[in-house]
Amino acid sequence: MSAELAVIAVDCGDLQLGGGLLALLRPALNELEPGGMLAVLSRATSVREDLASWCRTERHEYLGVETIGNLDRHLIARGEFSVANQTSNESQLKPREGKLTASDVLDVAPLPPTADPFSGFAPRGARVEPGGPAYPFTLNERDHAAPPEIAKLYDQAVSGQWDGTRDIPWDEVKPLPFPLAHALAQVMTFLAENELSALYVPARFIPRIHPAYAEVAMFLASQLADEARHIDVFLKRARLCGVGLGTSSVTTSRSLLSLMQTEDFTESSFLLSVLGEGTFLDLLSFIERYAPDEPTAELTRRAKNDESRHVHFGLAHVRYGLANDPKLYGRLEAAVRRRAAALHGVGGVPAPVQDALTILAAGSAEPEAVARGHEAFRELLDTMHASRIRRLQHAGFTSEQAETISELHTSNFM
Amino acid sequence: MPNNKTILLGAVAYDPKVVTIWEGIREHFQEQGVPMDFALFSNYERQVEELLKGHIDLAWNTPLAHVRVRQRTSGASRSLGMRDSDRDFRAKVIVRRGRDIKSVKDIEGKTLAVGSADSTQARILPLYFLAKEGVDLDKVNLLPFDTDLGKHGDTGTSEIDVLKALHEGRADAGTVGDLIWVNEQAAGHVDATKIEVLWTTPGFDHCMFDAHPALEPEKIEAFKRALFAMKWDNPRHRRLLELEGLREWLPPREEGYHSLQEALRQQGSE
Repeated sequence: MSAELAVIAVDCGDLQLGGGLLALLRPALNELEPGGMLAVLSRATSVREDLASWCRTERHEYLGVETIGNLDRHLIARGEFSVANQTSNESQLKPREGKLTASDVLDVAPLPPTADPFSGFAPRGARVEPGGPAYPFTLNERDHAAPPEIAKLYDQAVSGQWDGTRDIPWDEVKPLPFPLAHALAQVMTFLAENELSALYVPARFIPRIHPAYAEVAMFLASQLADEARHIDVFLKRARLCGVGLGTSSVTTSRSLLSLMQTEDFTESSFLLSVLGEGTFLDLLSFIERYAPDEPTAELTRRAKNDESRHVHFGLAHVRYGLANDPKLYGRLEAAVRRRAAALHGVGGVPAPVQDALTILAAGSAEPEAVARGHEAFRELLDTMHASRIRRLQHAGFTSEQAETISELHTSNFM
Repeated sequence: MPNNKTILLGAVAYDPKVVTIWEGIREHFQEQGVPMDFALFSNYERQVEELLKGHIDLAWNTPLAHVRVRQRTSGASRSLGMRDSDRDFRAKVIVRRGRDIKSVKDIEGKTLAVGSADSTQARILPLYFLAKEGVDLDKVNLLPFDTDLGKHGDTGTSEIDVLKALHEGRADAGTVGDLIWVNEQAAGHVDATKIEVLWTTPGFDHCMFDAHPALEPEKIEAFKRALFAMKWDNPRHRRLLELEGLREWLPPREEGYHSLQEALRQQGSE
């Protein structure tokens, strides 16, 4: 073999095969295509005995040795059974203004249109040895799982985390008069119950997402952390009312069960994030506006910021899916209809929740105030309907479709 | 269910993984439309006898068993295939540092640890090749490790014993197969300050599928078709190939067994 065919040379000094030589040899071979040549420069005579044997067991071709002075030059042709080489443009990854975001990473390691079940948990961009087992991921297509905004949403989620123990001015909570204490405890109980479902429902989809779209799983993980924090602060506020927790209605229970029984990721994202959490944005604004104290306003404001990220993800997910699959319109509408049919006859907004929101808006049990509270509640329902229609149109639905879907949405809000 | 179309293969159960391997290969053969079943033996001597009696159609044989089958059938047995790793096998002479052994001739007067009496790579062929190099074996103090007799060195236990004796200084030199030597080094089990490689034997071939001389040609063709359809990049095949220690099945060749035939003739064991 002539020397000019050698693509890479590696100086192994006097390292022996069992003394570290392989740590230089194997990575150097990985840089070559099958058939590519590696020159191993060695001063260890034992390598003359061992290198050919190692090549035999690893299926590389040992081509021979030339000795010049006390230096051996062994030539190896890379076999076809080691891990395939591949190119990447990751050398272009650079921090900007001291920051390195998931969006920057996505630019150099883009999401593939489809993902290989056999790559398992190998991070996107890793060299994957062939012949590994197939993994049971079911979300293996970018169009169904990973909207282009996903890295940006993840970056926002990471910087938007807060601490439910220290970031709420808990010591400003003061005892509330009787009807308000009950009303607030009921509202917070209702919020926590719904947020529990928002913790469990997306969690079901994480193991189905192919790790090639890890940013989606990572975003959902941040969503789960958000929901955990919301459950925590809502229940703390409820308990600080000092009157025990409120009632869990069958209406709520049925509505949330139907959410949990949705098996399709896009349909679930649509029902939970676009319709459910979207409606909750208006509910949280309402509670913030009529909050009896600053801690309640603060925790509601913070929860609303988090929820708006979840709505953004849901919208991006659905909009991206609709752009790639026009049949999705019909599927999503059908999902809403199925859920409405399952909940048919369940009734309106759960009575304890309706009463509590009315009293909260009234601020007291004075009949005149309660009348204002009732009016505010009615306006809330109108606002929720109008916002849903706006959001649905933003997702790509026509005004007629949006109107129908919004009308069919659960009276439980989520 | 067995019928006269089922190929019955013999293999020696030198390790529990043998069951996993042949269950997997049997399943693969069935998917290929080739009914196959296997019988496990505890030693190669029994397996060879049962093959010669026609109780099994073919046997997955060590080089020693293969050479015996060739001899007993006067070359009428059919060789069907081998592992890539069976070709150009070599044995190594490993020496303890500081025992003044610079060439194989220096082993005379010294203690040489060797593997099982029926291990081709750790005993029979290294001694044959050393004699060919001019070493007078009568002047060598042999330290034999006759473990797992009947398994023909498959378990590798005796080779590990040889390396252990060298590490502990109980032997001045020792013989092992190149596979064990390379793997033990790669795994970090070899202390290069204590032992080093001195010499490598010429190449020889290892295991072989031996078919009974009267096996029907259709069965032979079906067996080869299913065997060579196993691929390294198929996850289910890869698991089996890894366990069996190969990356691809290759066609048979006989020239790799000449040295063993000659060694057996000289040692008068056949």
